[in-house]
Amino acid sequence: MKRTTVLLCMLLLMASSPIAAAGQPDQPDVEEIVNKANLAAYYSANDGRAEVTMTVTDSQGRERIREFVILRLDVEDGGQQFFYVYFKKPSDVRKMVFMVHKHVTRDDDRWVYLPALDLVKRIAASDKRTSFVGTNFLYEDVSGRNLSEDSHELVETTDKFYVVKSTPRDVNGVEFSSYTLNIDKENFLPMKAVYLDKNGKEYRIVEALKVKEFDGIPTVTVSKVTDLAAGSSTLSEMKSIKYDIGLKEKIFTERYLRRPPRAVRR
Amino acid sequence: MQLASSVTQFSLNRPKVVTALMVIFTLVLGAFMVRVHVDTDPENMLSEDEFVRVFHNKTKKDFTLHDVVVLGIVNEKDQDGVFNPESLKKVDALSRFAATLADPDDPERKVVSRDIVAPGNVDNIIQDGPGRVRFEWLMKEVPQTREEARKVRDYALSNPLLKGSMVSENGRALALYLPITSKDFAHAVGEQLKEKIEELGAGDDQFYITGLPIAEDTFGKEMFVQMAITAPLAMLMIFLLMLFFFRNIQLIVAPMIIALCTVIATMGVLIGTGNTLHIMSSMIPIFIMPIAVVDSVHILSEFFDEYQRNKDRKATMEHVLGHLFKPMLFTSLTSAAGFASLAFTPIPPVQAFGIFVALGILLAWLLTILFIPAYVMMMKESSLENFGGGVDQNNKDNKGSLLNRHLRWIGSMASGKPWLVIGFNLAVMAVGVVGIFMIQVNDNPVKWFKSSHEIRVADRVLNSHFGGTYESYLILSGTDKELSSVQAADWLTRTLDKQLMESSTIRAKVINAIREIAPTLQSGTELADTLKKLWEAELDQVAMEDELGYDLWSDALDGLERMANLKEVFKRPDVLRYISDLQEHLVAQGDVGKSNTVSDVVKKVHMELFEGDKGHYSIPDSVEGVAQTLISFESSHKPDDLYHLVTPDYTRANIWLQLRSGDNVDMERVIADIDQYLTKNPPPVELNHNWAGLTYINVVWQEKMVNGMLKSFISSFAVVFLMMSFLFRSPVWGLLAMIPLTFTIGFIYGVIGLIGKDYDMPVAVLSSLALGLAVDFAIHFLQRTRMTMAKTGDWAAAIQDMFDEPARAILRNIIVISIGFTPLLLAPLVPYQTVGVFLAAIMFYSGLATLWMLPALLTVMQGWVFKKELREFAENSGKTV
Repeated sequence: MKRTTVLLCMLLLMASSPIAAAGQPDQPDVEEIVNKANLAAYYSANDGRAEVTMTVTDSQGRERIREFVILRLDVEDGGQQFFYVYFKKPSDVRKMVFMVHKHVTRDDDRWVYLPALDLVKRIAASDKRTSFVGTNFLYEDVSGRNLSEDSHELVETTDKFYVVKSTPRDVNGVEFSSYTLNIDKENFLPMKAVYLDKNGKEYRIVEALKVKEFDGIPTVTVSKVTDLAAGSSTLSEMKSIKYDIGLKEKIFTERYLRRPPRAVRR
Repeated sequence: MQLASSVTQFSLNRPKVVTALMVIFTLVLGAFMVRVHVDTDPENMLSEDEFVRVFHNKTKKDFTLHDVVVLGIVNEKDQDGVFNPESLKKVDALSRFAATLADPDDPERKVVSRDIVAPGNVDNIIQDGPGRVRFEWLMKEVPQTREEARKVRDYALSNPLLKGSMVSENGRALALYLPITSKDFAHAVGEQLKEKIEELGAGDDQFYITGLPIAEDTFGKEMFVQMAITAPLAMLMIFLLMLFFFRNIQLIVAPMIIALCTVIATMGVLIGTGNTLHIMSSMIPIFIMPIAVVDSVHILSEFFDEYQRNKDRKATMEHVLGHLFKPMLFTSLTSAAGFASLAFTPIPPVQAFGIFVALGILLAWLLTILFIPAYVMMMKESSLENFGGGVDQNNKDNKGSLLNRHLRWIGSMASGKPWLVIGFNLAVMAVGVVGIFMIQVNDNPVKWFKSSHEIRVADRVLNSHFGGTYESYLILSGTDKELSSVQAADWLTRTLDKQLMESSTIRAKVINAIREIAPTLQSGTELADTLKKLWEAELDQVAMEDELGYDLWSDALDGLERMANLKEVFKRPDVLRYISDLQEHLVAQGDVGKSNTVSDVVKKVHMELFEGDKGHYSIPDSVEGVAQTLISFESSHKPDDLYHLVTPDYTRANIWLQLRSGDNVDMERVIADIDQYLTKNPPPVELNHNWAGLTYINVVWQEKMVNGMLKSFISSFAVVFLMMSFLFRSPVWGLLAMIPLTFTIGFIYGVIGLIGKDYDMPVAVLSSLALGLAVDFAIHFLQRTRMTMAKTGDWAAAIQDMFDEPARAILRNIIVISIGFTPLLLAPLVPYQTVGVFLAAIMFYSGLATLWMLPALLTVMQGWVFKKELREFAENSGKTV
């Protein structure tokens, strides 16, 4: 999870666009940029753990809090990976678990465990642009958007950023018409994504507010999603970030939903 | 009267100065009209700091609720109703189009696109294979096949939040709910939708647009059209009628000028003083016009009858004004008092209405006594010649004689069989009183349109298909009581004792800590804070391998937080079940077609989490179960939808009611029913309840209006009586002056009760007009009777005189005004029709009561009411003899 959670979307896979940065030979090509960004945002180290507090502030300034521990294990960089999200707050959803097996070539597998109902439920992930437990983050922000779903175009290179505009290949599946990503030239972390709605109006901003190095890995520790139309926003703050803690694949299985692995606890 | 004659003299001697002054005065005041600010919002019937409005606005904010335009789509021809690819394509196009609507001049006035309820914009939770649920847009894209279209329908029908509101119960019609940020944007939304529908081509689909905001906003727009059409039409009608009676255009132009100047000046002052042009104030011209014309007609009618006798306009005018000045002043004062009393109602627009009609009446009086003499003086002598003899001749030969014959018949009947007349009127009054007790107070802004109006049609069609297009919100709120330290200890002990079973060591540590610390502290919060520090330290010390220890200390800490969350009453299963029961009760009563609550959300999601099993359409048994169900719902495309039904802190919940009728009586029944239910079935925790929503606000202002009107009417009745007694220097004559008014009110409101016409805003306001007009006739009649009696000394002779020219003036007024306002009947807006019909009825009956009852009563009472007049007569005749 690393920077992670936060991260928005960016993920771009390569499959994409030939348009890109043709004609600028001195620069990396757009596919390379989005790939690197994807890796920097979602695949740092082999695994990771972080404690996350998300604070949702609605248009009237009312706050709601979600606190959880997130574990991530990469099977292969840029490819399959696993997420395990263990909720601590609000207290009435404590022990709730959300697990994702992210795939690049097919729909993700997602599970939720609801302890009070003693229920493990699989959630269809064909549409990942649903809210992450009521926050302004979408599931896709947390686990990453498949690079192949958009075509990418390098629209500008500034002193600090590569500015990439991504347009979905299937407009029906999503609520935006395109988004523009500022990718840090140094570390390739996506720093800001601005989404345009179907009328071409900005309506959603995802931004990294703070980046810190852990084990030499630049990591977004504070990020924010703002929904301009609703006037609400969610701030995500990460602490206790650790990389390469030796997570085992077996804990990312249904069996561990009811009995969380020790790794989530401290 | 000294004042009278000096004013008259001035006017007779300086006609051009008077006229110029009047024109300048009117133009100056009229110029303020350019500052007009229109306000068609019935909410403004209540002042802004009225509790219900404050609460309504707070509710809208707390639950992010908006006023809604309802677009209904019905297809009677297709086998699947609107659930066919073609209709759904239009539905989709319309909802996408609606999402873009905004006022180009003020982008804040817009459709709130994210909260639109439409198949493409609502989320659905469905089964997606064994053990798997799926959140998806109900209609992600327009279906290509009939089968897909039917699937959309089936999913919608299986969602209790949509069934009866977005999709009709029979699965054949759809309703889109388009929230708008500002009610006064509703009409524009409606118009643009209509254009879009036109462009798409309706085909077999029928489209209906309704909802209170659109009714209210459209009413406002049409109101001005009506003002621009009917008010001038009424004026034209009055003009033609006067032309018919007086046969002299030049002469009758005068009252028209006065009415026009009065209306312009009054509206100018109204607007110039910063008042908005509201539904009520838009009626001011219609009320001022008859009253302004009435005075002029009194003068002209007499002038017309007398001029031929002495052929000297100056002398005639002096004579006419000599005996009309006083009654005219008093009629104007009493009418003005009647309207001014509306200033004591608690409803700002009604206050403004009363005050400015009163002002207009006084202004009309002033202009009448100033301008009419001046005008007569400015006329060419030749046209007066013509006017005097010729017309009178004409009159006698033709209709005039018919009029006269009838008048004489009424007069002889009243004096010949007085008891019959009195008895008949008492009988009418008795029936009237019965009718008054049958009056039903009711209003509904949608019914301000004729029943053939498209909004009324839409209202009927959509309310027959759906749960209702009238929304109101019942807000329940927990009463947040802080626990004392001892109470908190008790709760924690009970809760944790059970939860920490697995380790007696930890359990003992926890329980002991509570027992020891609690008595030393005051509040539960303090206790929780202290325990939290203690137990967090314990948790930190738990060894890495000790999973049980970690779990249990976490549980203990969790218990502290759950205690803090006890105020989140709307996560409690018992409270949610209570709400469900209340909903069931409401729907069973019939007025509420549909209700949406957080309980519905919990039940629906709970069911889908358990494989769509109907047995799980229920509230989970624990707060945690509810919370986890709700957080599952929040993992959808539109988690915010939850917060239309409950506040994020779960301390307040919205029972969102849809009513099929916006009639206040129906809403009142729901309110009474809920009060009763809450008393009979006390909720599991103490809950406060309060209402919001336009349908409810209408009930509140109606209540205030009816009570306020009643009070203001009673007070003005008393004031008018005192003024009459003062004018006639006799309480008996004062009482007599009240007779026509009392019988008119009895008759009019009796009829309203008997025919079942709802007592609504215009009907309420008409009582003031009835008072003003009826008193006007009575004063003229009585004042003239006393003068005639003093002159003739004999009642039989006096009554003959009375039923000549004075009665004719009254009758002319009755005819001019009652027929003059018939154009109002053509208005497509019911309040205007009401005013037209009742204006005529009031004129007719108050005139009748004056000309019929007063002479009958005077005949009966002649022995003792005329003492003063007879004395005067004796003195005069003594002198003459």
